Formats: sequence, C-alpha cells, structure tokens
Amino acid sequence: MRIRRVALGLALLCCAAMGRSQDVLLSDTLETVVVTGTGTKHLLKDAPVETEVISGRTLRQYGGQSLEDILGSLSASFAFNEGDMGSQMQLNGLGNSYILVLIDGKRLTGDVGGQNDLSLIDPHNIERIEIVKGASSALYGSDAIAGVVNIITRRHEGGIMLENSTRYGSYNDVRQHNSVGLAWGKWKSLTGFQLQHSDGWQNTSVENTPSSATPVTDSRSMTVNRHTSWQLSEQLTFAPSEDLEFYLAGTLHRKGIYRPKGKYPKYDVKTFDLKYENASAALGGQWRTERGDLLTLDIDWAQHAYYHAFTSTTLTEGFDADGLLILDFPYFAGQRLLQSNQQRTTAQLKGVFNFPNHRLSAGLEARFDHLKAPTSLASRTASDNTEALYVQDEWSQLHWLWLTGGLRLCRNEGFGWRLTPKLSAMARLGNVRLRATWSQGFKTPTLKEMNYRYIREMTNIVMYLGNENLKPQTSNYFSLGGELTHHGFNFTVTAYVNRLDNMIALATVSTSAAPAAYREQYGEMLNKVRRYENMEDARTMGVDISASYTRKEWTAGASYSYLDTKAHVYDSDAERLERVVIDGMARHKGNVFVTWEHRFSPSYALGLGLYGRMSSRRFYALDGNGRPFQIWRLTTSHNLGHSRTMTYRLEAGIDNIFNHVDRTPHGLHLGTTSPGTTVFATLTVRFKTNKSLKFSNKHKSNSKNQNDEED
Amino acid sequence: MKKIKLLVMALAAMMLSAGFTSCSDNDDDTMSNMERYQQEVENTVRAEKAHKKALLLVAFGSTWQQAYDAFDLTRQEYQKAFPDYDVFLSFSSAICINRAAAGENTAKRSFYEPMYWLEAFGRVQYEEIIVQSMQVIPGEEFSRVVNAMKDFGNNKLGDLDDAYMKTVTLKLGMPLMYTEDNAKELASALDANFHKYAEMGAMLFMGHGNPDDYDTYKANVRYTQLETALQAIHPNYYVGTVDMADNFKVQVNNRMEANGFASNGKVFCAPLMSIAGDHAHNDMAGDDDEWDDAMATQTEGEAEDVSWKKYFGHKGYTIEETPYYTDNGEDALVKGLLEYKNIRDLYIKHTQAAEVVDFYHSMYPEE
Repeated sequence: MRIRRVALGLALLCCAAMGRSQDVLLSDTLETVVVTGTGTKHLLKDAPVETEVISGRTLRQYGGQSLEDILGSLSASFAFNEGDMGSQMQLNGLGNSYILVLIDGKRLTGDVGGQNDLSLIDPHNIERIEIVKGASSALYGSDAIAGVVNIITRRHEGGIMLENSTRYGSYNDVRQHNSVGLAWGKWKSLTGFQLQHSDGWQNTSVENTPSSATPVTDSRSMTVNRHTSWQLSEQLTFAPSEDLEFYLAGTLHRKGIYRPKGKYPKYDVKTFDLKYENASAALGGQWRTERGDLLTLDIDWAQHAYYHAFTSTTLTEGFDADGLLILDFPYFAGQRLLQSNQQRTTAQLKGVFNFPNHRLSAGLEARFDHLKAPTSLASRTASDNTEALYVQDEWSQLHWLWLTGGLRLCRNEGFGWRLTPKLSAMARLGNVRLRATWSQGFKTPTLKEMNYRYIREMTNIVMYLGNENLKPQTSNYFSLGGELTHHGFNFTVTAYVNRLDNMIALATVSTSAAPAAYREQYGEMLNKVRRYENMEDARTMGVDISASYTRKEWTAGASYSYLDTKAHVYDSDAERLERVVIDGMARHKGNVFVTWEHRFSPSYALGLGLYGRMSSRRFYALDGNGRPFQIWRLTTSHNLGHSRTMTYRLEAGIDNIFNHVDRTPHGLHLGTTSPGTTVFATLTVRFKTNKSLKFSNKHKSNSKNQNDEED
Repeated sequence: MKKIKLLVMALAAMMLSAGFTSCSDNDDDTMSNMERYQQEVENTVRAEKAHKKALLLVAFGSTWQQAYDAFDLTRQEYQKAFPDYDVFLSFSSAICINRAAAGENTAKRSFYEPMYWLEAFGRVQYEEIIVQSMQVIPGEEFSRVVNAMKDFGNNKLGDLDDAYMKTVTLKLGMPLMYTEDNAKELASALDANFHKYAEMGAMLFMGHGNPDDYDTYKANVRYTQLETALQAIHPNYYVGTVDMADNFKVQVNNRMEANGFASNGKVFCAPLMSIAGDHAHNDMAGDDDEWDDAMATQTEGEAEDVSWKKYFGHKGYTIEETPYYTDNGEDALVKGLLEYKNIRDLYIKHTQAAEVVDFYHSMYPEE
C-alpha cells in the first residue's frame, strides 16, 4: 500500500511539472553500432560476428517491464519461466548456466540453482541489448556455450541531468527509476535508484493432487509471489585528459520474495520467505595511445547472497553446540539462514592494436570465485580460479570479406589448460551478407555443480546433489547465416548446431544417493534425488529467421525460431543410453510486431505498437509439459512538449490483450506465468542542462571498456 | 596520481563495507535458539499438564490432512484408553513439524521431536512416561525413538533434577510388528478389513521396509512373516515394500506368477503404513507412469517411476479405479493402518504392555 501511495504521489508530482514541453524521445539510429561479437565497434550491418540487437528505439516503444519481458517478447530465441529462484532463462534451448549475461561487458554475478537474478538489471537504464549466439566470442570466455547477452546501459555525458521514470501497472506492479547525473571539471557522476515491486498473482487455486487424494481447490499458492527489490548505483568517472579515463562504480541491491501461507501443510504452508543481498564494486580505466591503440583495465567484484527469512518456527539445517551440522536446528520468525553467498572477483587487461588491414585484440583475464554455503557444502566454503589469455585478429584484406579469428587459452585450478578457437567470416555481396561461425566452448563445472547439496521444498521434497567427479563441458558451435537488406527491408536467416560433450545436467538418481542423515530426516517426503551428471552427448540445432520492413512512419517485423534438442545419459543400472529431455525446450517460438509513429505537432508525437509472441509446448522431464501460448500487447507512447531542458514521455499499454491464462494446477509446469490482461502506464520526466537532449543517438552507450574506433 | 590513489582507497573501502554488511549472516545464536525452542515445548506441556503421567505417541509425521485426521483420532482413543495420562503426539520429521505448526491451520498443531518432549516432561517432572512407537516394524525409525529415550534417561543435557531421574518410570511401547506373533495378530486384523478384496482378486499390501541389504533390527523379516500369516488365511494376500531389497512390487509380481495367480485377475493395493501419505498416494495409487514396454522391468530401479497401481495394470491385471478414492473415504483403499479401529486397538494393546526401560540406572548402575 505504501508503495502504491509513493508511486501515485510521484506520478502526480511529475504531472504537475508538465507545464512546459519539448523534445521527443523517439529518434533512433538506423546504423546501430555493436561491440559484443568482437569487442570492437562495428556497424550492425557490417558486424563480422552475427549479432542480434534490440535497439533503444524498440525498447522504448515496447515499454518493457523487466529484462525477462523484453527478451521474451522481442527475441524469438529466448524463453523464460519466472520463479522464486530466479529467472529460468533459455537461449536456443540451453539454460542459464550456458548464457553469459554481461552488463556493459561485465559478468552478472550470482545464481540460485544456476539461475540468474535479472532483477539486478534496471530495464529503464538499458540503452540496447546485443545478443551473440554460441560460444562465438573469444573475448568473453568460452563458457558462454549458448551465447552472450550484453546489456549496454545508458551513460551520462555531461551537464546536469535529473530523471524520474515511474511505471505502474496491474497487481500493484511498480517500477521506479531515478537518476541524477552531474559533471564538474574532469569528473562525472551518475547516481541511480531503482525500485521494483509486484503484489504477485494467482492463476489457479488448484493444487496438483494425486487422484487418490482429496482435491485441493482453495490453495493460497501464488503463480508469482509478491516481491520487492531496490538497487542503488553510483558511477564516478574521471578523465584527466582526452586520452585517459578512470572509473569507479558500485551497486547495492536488496530483494525480498514473500510467500503467503495457507492451510494445507502439504501444499501451501511455507515457513520462510526469500531474501537476497547483492553488491558490486568496480574500478578501471582506459588509455588511448597516439596511434589509436586502446588499453583497458577492469577490476570488479560482485556478491550475491541468498537467505531464508523465517516467518514461523522452522527446524532446518544448522549447527549444534558442538558445531556439527544437524537438520533440525530451530529458527524463529524474524531470523534468517544464509543459503549461499557467491563472490566473484575478475580482473581484465585488454589491448586493441591497429595495423594495416588488421586489428588485433589481446587480453588477460583472471577470475576468482568464492562460495560460502555453511549448510549446503560439506566444506562450508569452496573456491575456484580461472585465468585466460586471448587473442583475436580482425582481418579485412579484401573489400568484400572480413575474417575474425580468435584463440582463448583457459586455465582452471581443477581442470588444467584448454585452448578454444573461434572463427567467423562475413562476405558482402551487394545487398546480401553471408556469415559463418565455428567456435569451441569450454566450461568447467561450477562450484555448486560440484559441491552443493541442498533440499528444495516444493510440493514434494527434492534433494539436489553436486558431483565431484564431473568433467568439464565442451562444445562445438557452427552457424551459417544470410542477411538481405534492401530499401527498408531486412531479412535474416541463420541455421546453427551446437554439439555438447559432457553436458552437465540434473539426472534423477536413486534416493539412496542422498546422505543418510537426509534420508532419515526427510523420509518418505524425499520424493526425488537429482544429481549433476555429465551427459553422454547433447546437441541443439535450429533455425532463426527474422524479417522487418520500415517505411516512413511504419515498421513491421516478425521472427521465428525452430529448435530441436537431443541428449543422452548413460543409465548404469540398465547399462544403456537413455534419451533425456532438455528441460524447458520448445520446438517453435515466434514473435511479430508492427509500430507506427507520427509527430502531430512540435510538442506532440504519438507512437503505437502491437506485439505478439507465441511458443509451442515446452517439454520437461518431470511435472508435466508447459502449454503452448500466444500473448499480444498494445502499447502507446506520447512525447510531450518541446522545452530545451525538460522532456516528458508517457507510455501506456495493455498486455495480454486476449487474456491468455495458463491455469495448470500448482506443482506442474506452466507455458507462461502471465496473469492475463494487465494494463500499465509509465511517466518519464527528465531535466537536462546541455543541448543534446535526445535519448538515443546522441546518447552514447556505456561501452567504454570495449571502445574502439568506429568503422 | 593522488586522485587515482584516492579512487583505489575509496573502492577498497566500498568493498570492505559491502563485505562487512554481508558477514552478519545468521542472526542466530546456537545455544539460545535450542533452549528457546525447548522452553516453547515446556510451555506447551505445562499448559496441557493435567495428570501425573504422560504418554507420548511417536510417529514419523506427515503433511497430509488425511494423516492428521488419523493422528487426531488415535490420540482421542488413547486419551479414552488411558484416562490417567496426558497424551501427546510427536513427529520425528522436522519438515512435518514445521508445516503442521505454521500457516492458517485453525488449531495450530505442536508435534515436536521426541527429544524435546521428553526433556520437557522431565522439566515438569511427570512421574511416569510411556513412549509408544507408532512404527510398523522395529526398524531404523524405531531405533531413533529408543535413542531419544536413552538420551533422556542419561540426562544428556544435564539439567534435569537428579533425584527426579532416579524415581521417574520410563516405559516403551513396541511397534506394531515387534515380534512374529505380532505379525500374526496383524494378519487377522487385516483379514477382517480386507477379506472381501482377497475374495475378488489379489490383495497387495505395500509396506515401507528398511533399505538395508540384510535384516537390520530384525525388521524386514516381519513383512515376509506377515505375508506367510496372511496367505495361511487366504492365498490371495501379498506383502511388498518400497524400500526392502528383494521385496519390491517386481518381486510381488514374480511371486504372484509363481503361485499361479490369474494373469488377468483383479488386483487391489493398500498401504501397510500407519498413515496414508506420499508413499500411499504417489508410489502406490499414484498416476506416475514412466512405463516403457521396451524395459526389461525386472529390477525395481527400472520400474521406480511407475506406481503400484500402474505397474500391475501394465502387467495385465485388472485394476479398478474406484476403490482408491471415494468422497467420504469409507471404502477407499488408500487408508493408513491408524484409520482402522481394530489396528488402533492393536497399538493400544502394545501400550498397555509397555515395558519399563531403565536407561538411567543402566548408565549409573550403582544407584
């Protein structure tokens, strides 16, 4: 309630300030610059490594509520299942642990059961999103076996800037973004605060009960639980000269997920909420030499801590008076228990050197991971370090052919050395561009995959076990694509196959694999024991197709993704290979959109957008398949006024127009967690003192650690 | 340079402060939490203490409403049968205790672990304490009950009054099939309840069993003895388990075939467990059906994700859906043993015959 009042107050305040008016937040660059594939700047149409971009313009027109919403709706390659444990993201059939999420080129740290917490990303602060599929980039590590998602955030360029953006929607969905940008002399500062809240919703009150038991139709279990998070961020830059810049940045993030308690101990009685505490700090700098070479240094540290916050007396893991782990230690309401605290420190030194027809990038990276999980690790803490050395050459001897070759040499504390090559080629033949990539991936088992052991309480109790005998996963990714651009028309088609050896996945094993103390304590409630195992082989293959057409004020587009997966695991009991499902995979996914923009007067411009996304059935090994769905959204945007310093923008829309709701009983997988038709409105008010007020093309992106000359 | 230094220092300070805030991990204090919990149990006992003798029924626990109803009924009947005793119910499963006591349950249930109940009984100085095991076999779970009594008898926490410990009478009521004779008594009681099904087809009981390869605690053998006793009454009775080696549903099927049971005959299943919980609803009567005709299905591992009902259906027998669930529960097969009057009476008989255990004087023989 308080949040609602605060949001309403702010919205009113902003409305009151809307006397004068000015610039339009519409414009966009047709020639988007991308950096993720090579770490050097290229125009999207000429990027030698195939890159999918969600542009700032698309983002603003769409008015996305969260990163999940944005990627799920604007790219056909992604699938999500939002849950309490984070965002179950999939990119072309492979899950979170194969997707490298970067914020301005830096790794997003922290996962719960391998799932990234994307609420760390403020959707309002995204300038654009670049997606490179496969382990194609020599720069970002070979563990991005499914691909890299690089979130480029907005950057303060100078002057004084104040901004508030408040989004309010159904189910008390509040997204608040506030930022203050200052510049004095050689210093610049950007301070941000974001708040995200939703009351959550319930799509069904029916639990999945066995046919032999009394049905439960008045469960209080939520489809999405009430949750609140906030984040404070600060970025300070100091540029002593034009060629030299240093930065210092930090964030603080808190998140709580609150679960209602019902009357069915088996189904909807919960004795704890979930709490997250994240923090990060980074420093670095870049130096551009007289001959145009670039050297960058980045050091960053991030922490992701996850707690159970008890809401009633709970007996669970703890340490007795002798310091021994027991499974029935009492906690009381208001107390909390650390589940895991992941910390990661990375240091990266990189240079980009220009030669005639060549551009050479070389870098050193060191990464230290530390996991503290007193009740889920036999050793209570575990750590791991990885170093990498990489070189990449961009070669453009011929005016129609660009070749990019990369080599990455990794060394991991436990698994030794591994060299992974990457090779990309692009040929330009008139309006057509052809791209091909071959890349190898290498991913060592994570600390959790090797060491963790924990119980997850859902309708049934499932124990997850790490496996110290895991081998590293390797992959070979091949893709071949074509792109046609002609008079506002753009068509791309890409076919890929990603072969994985020793893919690590959870396999159901006999309950006798659980440590005796757990079997004794959980008894018959211990429904399944799942352990990380290396699969014999796995491959994903598919085709991604997209088409778009822009004419005057109209833009229309569609994309489609076909996916096929195959994986085998060796069943030692039966002495044979068994085919297994890659959880969450859907064979067909697609999206369509059409937008129209028109400036009616210098002080008013209107944008309209209609977006649709659809998915076929999603397959799971346990607890049923997710139903197919299609969801449509209508958005409007209103740019008001034309003052030099003030900018006003209102976005409003209806999501899930046709009220598609998946009412599958709790305990089974859903195709989509959407609550049905919802409405939202966002008001953005911005004050900026310098002349360039445009949101997009004049607004440089925050990619300094990857900067290089433009092509 | 100075500024860079300053930056580095500021960053270090930020990292440190972030580190410190994250270090205040568990807001718990080991001793005080356990003592605080113990006092909660003690207060519950003080509030309910009406007699000088206490009777503690110890079960593994459950989160199923059907099981709570069975426990409540059992407790009421015990109160009637033992009017001089305060009757308490204990769960040994932490998660069952957590969920039973939380949420919107109209009457919050307090099913503490035996060690806390016994310590509380000692603190309020009950003159006599009977602990009744609600287990079916004297297996691993039963041994935990005995261990909790030993800890109490030995005054493990050391805070119970020594003079009291010398005089308190501690008795132990044995599980349902403690002896082979008990198995025979149970066979008669089961036949009284299931005779009509045995007349129609094979009547299979699904017990739990110990996962050990050999017959630890003389427990698993009771299932075999029960089957022998039941088959002496009617050849259509079979007893299998979910956890005892070589007595899974696959072996039950093998025995049925060896005995020449009709390959398309009717098959009925009922749980041989004190309450109907996850095993009964999922492993026995569940709809899980990971059946694969290509499987050799001669090992339990392969047929693990197939419920008994589905497994015997795939084996060609006739399975009737209706008896597994009925709205009023009257004729349903998915019922725990405690839901049958004649079996509750067997437990009460065990309690009446509870033997004195003298863990205190076995620890301090000279006293």
